Amino acid sequence: MKNLLVKECRLAAATITYFFLAAGLLTLIPGYPILMGVFFTCLGIFYSFQTMRENRDIEYSMLLPVSKAEVVKGKFLFVMLLEGCSFLVMALVTVVRMTALKNVEAYLTNPLMSANPAFLGWALVLFGLFNLVFLRGFFRTGYYIGKPFVLFCVCAFVLTGVAEALPHVPGLEALNVPGPAYAGTQAAALAAGLAAYALMTWAAIRGSIRSFEKIDI
Amino acid sequence: MSDICEARGLGKDYPAFSLRDVSFSLKAGTITGFIGRNGAGKTTTIRSMLGYVHPSRGEIFYFGMPFKGNENVIKPRIGYSAGAVNYYPKKTIRELISVTRRFYPSWDEDACRSCMKLFALDENKTPSELSEGMKVKCNLMLALSHRAELLILDEPTSGLDPFSRDELVELFRELKDQGITLFFSTHITSDLDKCADHIVYLREGRIIQAGEREEFRSRLGLPGETLEDTMLRLEKEARDEKSAR
Repeated sequence: MKNLLVKECRLAAATITYFFLAAGLLTLIPGYPILMGVFFTCLGIFYSFQTMRENRDIEYSMLLPVSKAEVVKGKFLFVMLLEGCSFLVMALVTVVRMTALKNVEAYLTNPLMSANPAFLGWALVLFGLFNLVFLRGFFRTGYYIGKPFVLFCVCAFVLTGVAEALPHVPGLEALNVPGPAYAGTQAAALAAGLAAYALMTWAAIRGSIRSFEKIDI
Repeated sequence: MSDICEARGLGKDYPAFSLRDVSFSLKAGTITGFIGRNGAGKTTTIRSMLGYVHPSRGEIFYFGMPFKGNENVIKPRIGYSAGAVNYYPKKTIRELISVTRRFYPSWDEDACRSCMKLFALDENKTPSELSEGMKVKCNLMLALSHRAELLILDEPTSGLDPFSRDELVELFRELKDQGITLFFSTHITSDLDKCADHIVYLREGRIIQAGEREEFRSRLGLPGETLEDTMLRLEKEARDEKSAR
């Protein structure tokens, strides 16, 4: 699996994908829908899949002494690594916003989602959604990427809207508190996000292996 | 001689074409030519043998094991080249080698170097900078560098000049002498006259004949005919028969 990951990083990845990992820094912008950072990371990953397709990466991967299931797992591992890096950037910026920048007026009066553990939970849900909709969709054909990505965009924008609206529902204000108050509720939201990510990614890997085994390259 | 590879009743259905009941076996240390005109199903057969195409029917065995479920054990023992290198056209050959070699514990650096030298490949070039013939050689170099016991080559001599083809056929004979089994598809049947021990002849998705070259000659050939003459005659007869119906 390590060799497949090296192959993805050295041959398959588009340079711009790594650049888009910096999208996690969007979390610093006050009055900005910071979940868009997740979307831009996913857009970067999409570019890599475009590059892979142009370079006939699946054809090359099938030449190697690996099974079809491992080809799928290798791609997922690569995507999860990128998602992990992007999440790390967002988590670091969130910590900075919650500590060193906690009294900055622009963050305190921010009408949109605040950077806190609940936000990180939502970020994980969006990454899980990307894996379930885009990657799962790609492995249905091993070729087409447009339709799964458009579908992910629609789902992601709806989910982002829901995530932004939810703290305005009476009783759920705790989700958007920028400081350490309601840390327990927000940690629970993060844990729920992590569980959703794990579940969606697991389902995506299983489904992708099943589809990919059946298709002709 | 033991069977290195055995195809049992391979079949694949497409809307306009069907591969039907393709069965043959490859003996260790032999060269088998896989012939048939364009569209006969040679590439579909080869891709079915390697899991690229999901066969509708049949099974493929390598070294006595079914391919399905044993890819990780079987693939390192096989080298496959589908004509010209057609992936990662903008990566250098050096980059392609450095990633590919990681997957093969048996990667032979000396074999790789000697293939590079034999084929006059420059590792600083990218596939997009190579001619079609050189792309074929690049793919062959990758297939020959990990001490494969069986080489499956799809149209390896297509696009090569006569001299390079001759060199390649000579290389095939050397590999056979080293005990390597070769299975290659081609429509340049004169190459097979020089090196093949066995012939598998496919027409419209069906095996017409699979066996030793001499047996092929005695069953289907006429006195003085080359393999190409025989194949041409048989294809013409089939065409005439079809148009008469």
